[in-house]
Amino acid sequence: MFRQLAARFGGPLSAAILALLGIWLILMVTLPQLQMIDYSLRPNLLPDQRGGPEDGWTLANYATLFANDIHRAIFFKTLWSSVLVTLLTLAVSYPLAWYLAKVATPRQAALCILLLIIPFWINEILRTYSWFIILAFRGPLNELLLMLGLIDRPIRFLSGDGGVMVGMVYAYILFMVFPLYNAIESLDDNQVRAARDLGAGTLRTHRRIVIPHAKPGIATGCIMTFMLAAGSYAVPALLGSPGSRWFTQIIYNWFFEGGNWNQGAAYAFLLLVLCIGFMSLVMKVFKVGLGDIAK
Amino acid sequence: MDGSVRLEEVVMRFGDFTAIDKTSLEIGSGEFFSFLGPSGCGKTTLLNMIGGFLTPSEGRVSIGGEPMAGVSVNRRPTAMIFQNLALFPLMTVFENIEFGLEVRGVDRRTRRATAERLLSLVALEGVGARRVTELSGGQKQRVAIARALAVEPRVLLLDEPLSALDLKLRQHMRSELKAIQRKTGITFIYITHDQGEALTMSDRVAVMSAGRLQQVADPMTLYRQPATGFVAAFVGENNRIEARVIDRLGERVRLDAGTLGELEGRVGDEASLGGGAEVALYVRPEQLRPVAAGTSGDASMGGSTLVAEVESVSFEGAWLMVQARLAGSGEALRVQLGSEVSRSFADALVPGEAITLGYDPAETVVLPRDDGPQVDEATGEVVEATDV
Repeated sequence: MFRQLAARFGGPLSAAILALLGIWLILMVTLPQLQMIDYSLRPNLLPDQRGGPEDGWTLANYATLFANDIHRAIFFKTLWSSVLVTLLTLAVSYPLAWYLAKVATPRQAALCILLLIIPFWINEILRTYSWFIILAFRGPLNELLLMLGLIDRPIRFLSGDGGVMVGMVYAYILFMVFPLYNAIESLDDNQVRAARDLGAGTLRTHRRIVIPHAKPGIATGCIMTFMLAAGSYAVPALLGSPGSRWFTQIIYNWFFEGGNWNQGAAYAFLLLVLCIGFMSLVMKVFKVGLGDIAK
Repeated sequence: MDGSVRLEEVVMRFGDFTAIDKTSLEIGSGEFFSFLGPSGCGKTTLLNMIGGFLTPSEGRVSIGGEPMAGVSVNRRPTAMIFQNLALFPLMTVFENIEFGLEVRGVDRRTRRATAERLLSLVALEGVGARRVTELSGGQKQRVAIARALAVEPRVLLLDEPLSALDLKLRQHMRSELKAIQRKTGITFIYITHDQGEALTMSDRVAVMSAGRLQQVADPMTLYRQPATGFVAAFVGENNRIEARVIDRLGERVRLDAGTLGELEGRVGDEASLGGGAEVALYVRPEQLRPVAAGTSGDASMGGSTLVAEVESVSFEGAWLMVQARLAGSGEALRVQLGSEVSRSFADALVPGEAITLGYDPAETVVLPRDDGPQVDEATGEVVEATDV
């Protein structure tokens, strides 16, 4: 790597670039992670007890999760709900990506992408709050449904997981649409035409031709959406009800309410393991490598 | 339902642009029919309308006597071979060929048997389990043919399928395609800008230009009796000499070619060419024969001679190609001399030398000077019609 850089930028500059990269990777990524792992493996002690006889490595913080039924349930619920969010986002994004890549004229596509991006110029908290307003018991959505006569009394959208789901699909849709769009866009139109010509209907054309081609994009979108959903804090905090707590909220509480960083670190690390596990699983199922996703 | 195709006053417009202007045509069942024309002439549009990828703005398309309006691509009795073949890269050869059968709910064993049979038809046994990406260009070509034939189309549409192959393979595939067409009896509709392909394979050829059919005829007629100036210039090589009709006797016309003197030619089907009409005389390079200078040509040649100055000579093996300029008008003239010229005559053909050429008027064609698209004789490129 140094030699390639040196050929372009010369020796001293290349050394500086590599040093910066190294510092960034070690100081900003590796060391904090290692420290978190170290935290998670130690008991929560008062400052003057540190280095004392009770200080030592232990798996007790990890065991907490498996001992605590509520936390364990929330952990698995977060996993399951994130999968659901991912699937919902995929279901919403796929037709959109298809439309953008293959159906729309360049003008329409540009306009549509602009419309998709504009809301993201606004802070995520504000966007989530707007959903809070829309979905409120006396909010505009209920008013509209009442006015249309579709319901006779308002629905509590925010009481279950519904609000969180809607909020997350909305928050992460771009992370699904763009990888899908890129993947579908690169499909030769004649492939679709050929499938149609050989008699395939719309569903089969997608199942046999478009989706297999778009697999790396689907995998990338799913992994990104899942990671963001599982690690989301703002959306469940604002749109969730007491019954739909997210695992990130538990972690937050350990750190900032309970003041138990060691316990929080163990939970955070478990969430990280979960995400990496999910990512590997998706990559295996879709038979894609890290290289495909980096594209 | 047979494999005949009928176009009735078909028009295709894209916005303000008319890609196909009112076109009617009948293609017989089992015919090998080609659309020949330069790129942008509308031939692919026409093919897409037959295949159902485009809906004509006006007019009707019917296949086997059944109107195709409202019949979508996947329900038409046609199959297309795409210019880039569009094989499914993630599938094996078998899966590619069986795709259309899978769609039709044919069981696995029958599918495989059909695929094997088709692979042997296209002389490609034993590659079924391979990925299509592992095949050579010629092999991919054959798989594409097999895949299209698998759905037993009545009409096979071929969109310049040979253009990606190298010359040798292309020539080989020509005869192969023709053989497959004969064996299967399926109507082949072939799109090409390569006149060699169109002339060698087709039963009939439609020459197209600027969204119109210029002439529909068998290859021989197309070559010997072009109906329009465009066809005369586009199909094969032709020398074009502008002239005015002096008088006419049956098919024969006497022409006043200005500084070139009096020439004779044969009138095509054009009945309206009377005295004074502005015409163009087309003489093929291989019809020009050297005659003794100073003569007005021997009787068998009909008396017409042209005098030209040799510019360059290229030896092509079986023939000599002489590039010359007409004395008088200075227009370019190409002469193809075969084995009948002696070695000493050929050696005397040096640049600057004057050469007298005669031709048989019966082998020429005289056409009205049209203002349609023309073919640039130097480059072979099509020049759009210019208003005079």
